[in-house]
Amino acid sequence: MTHPDPSTLALYAGQDLGWFARWRTARHLARCRECRDEVQAFASVSDALIPLNELPPISWSRLAAEMRANIRLGLAAGECVRAEETGRPPGWWSGARALTALASMIALVAAGLFLQRPVPQAPPVADNGSAVLRATANGIELREGGESLSLLHVRTADVTYSAGAQGSMRAGYVDSETGNVTINDVYVQ
Amino acid sequence: MLAGVATLCAQEAPLGNSVKINLPADSPLTLISANLGESHVSQRGSAMVVDLDVSLTLHNASPKSVRGVTLLVAAQEFTPGGKAAVSVPSLDVGPDQNFPVHVKLRLLRPAQMGAGPLVQVNLDGVLFQDFSFYGPNRLDCRRTMTAWEMQAERDRKYFKSILASRGLNGLKQAMLESLNRQAERPRLDVQVSRGRAVGSAAVAAHDEQFAFLHFPGAPVEPVDGWAEVSGSEARNPRIDVRNLSSRPVRYVEIGWIVSDRAGHRFLAASVPASGPTFNLKAGSTSRVLQDTELRFSRDGGPVSIAGMTGFVGQVEFADGTVWIPNRAALANARLLGILPPSPEEQRLMDLYRKKGPQALADELNRF
Repeated sequence: MTHPDPSTLALYAGQDLGWFARWRTARHLARCRECRDEVQAFASVSDALIPLNELPPISWSRLAAEMRANIRLGLAAGECVRAEETGRPPGWWSGARALTALASMIALVAAGLFLQRPVPQAPPVADNGSAVLRATANGIELREGGESLSLLHVRTADVTYSAGAQGSMRAGYVDSETGNVTINDVYVQ
Repeated sequence: MLAGVATLCAQEAPLGNSVKINLPADSPLTLISANLGESHVSQRGSAMVVDLDVSLTLHNASPKSVRGVTLLVAAQEFTPGGKAAVSVPSLDVGPDQNFPVHVKLRLLRPAQMGAGPLVQVNLDGVLFQDFSFYGPNRLDCRRTMTAWEMQAERDRKYFKSILASRGLNGLKQAMLESLNRQAERPRLDVQVSRGRAVGSAAVAAHDEQFAFLHFPGAPVEPVDGWAEVSGSEARNPRIDVRNLSSRPVRYVEIGWIVSDRAGHRFLAASVPASGPTFNLKAGSTSRVLQDTELRFSRDGGPVSIAGMTGFVGQVEFADGTVWIPNRAALANARLLGILPPSPEEQRLMDLYRKKGPQALADELNRF
């Protein structure tokens, strides 16, 4: 089964799709629970935006006045620089421009090195046949040798995980289908 | 293309009698329906993947309101030592009412499956409004559900007091604080295994001492404790606890917080102690210990453990009554921003987010 891409599901959840795409997505959703969960998750996100309505009132007129003042300040500064440049022989490759270009290149290289710097990685799980419990993107997985048992939760942003040192892992969430808090535990012995 | 479609169809098959639901004959809950939905088995390379999506509808046949249910999920053919549980706390199901429980399970094994049910779902316990209990309690769910119900009472009382003293605006403010706290709560990825198995410790291990938080009025206090630490791995926590109360204690749970080198604090795990080897008589001292290994990471990178803090998170006395810290104690110890919310607070936050403050106030005024 080919699933619609996430952006289509997000637009569907927000009722922003055109009629044909909406019809086609609705047909798919009628027989695909996974995508219905995805749409539900997107809808939950828009629900989560409700609290943003609680933002304190913003003084727009004051903000506009500050912005106008800053723009005027910038224009005035520009005029000063232009006045100083008057009389300088026009040249496309002046020293200042060359310096700016060089500085930009150095900044680019530095940024590249920073982004590509080696990041310490968590050591890989030792696959020596021992049972290991861990949280995954959509549930809790118990893996032992080549076998695994995963207790999954519906897709939601608000899952709380906690571990038990006796060999357990817990995920708690509100099931969007039942509306109940559901707590999944997986135990290793 | 047709051949490809045919192959795909051959690799996916619906599941018939693969799940067995077992409710005892005298159970206060009866099974109304069990829907396997889109459950199916498929082949992934040489491995077999079983996706079970079970929607149960249960009926409260007892004369009392149900507050919580725990189902034991066992798949012995897969991961022989493993078992799972699905619990639904914070319920308010009156007599003769139905309620849904959803179980989603994925099983993977390299070989073909045998005959018979893949998964057995058994009722492990039911908690009623008056804290009475029914069930075999194999997973100690009586204590767990009692603690959740006490947390629910504690948190409902807190939000109701805010509603009474500061009105709807105060309740909105408290909810926004809860939502912000949960959004900003530092999260740690933890892998758990029994014995030494999770990672390959490249750093020499040393014994790291616990620092302890003490709650006023707690019946048990931590006295001393340590764990073996090497880099981002911690093993075998051992914590001595003293019973300050006049009653024997049969279960103690220590909350374990680790801090990294930048001073961020995370809830690492809970360290429980119970069973025949754990005996904490009134005034006596005993040891909480677990032969386990935990590995901590965050954003894909290891978290080096720079410090450890412990606190008593739960106590069960021999008579079955349970103690939990109150909300003020957690706030004073700055733990509200580290611990996950109680199931009830999670439910109330979800209600506020989806339906607004008035619906939340109506819910709090219900009981």
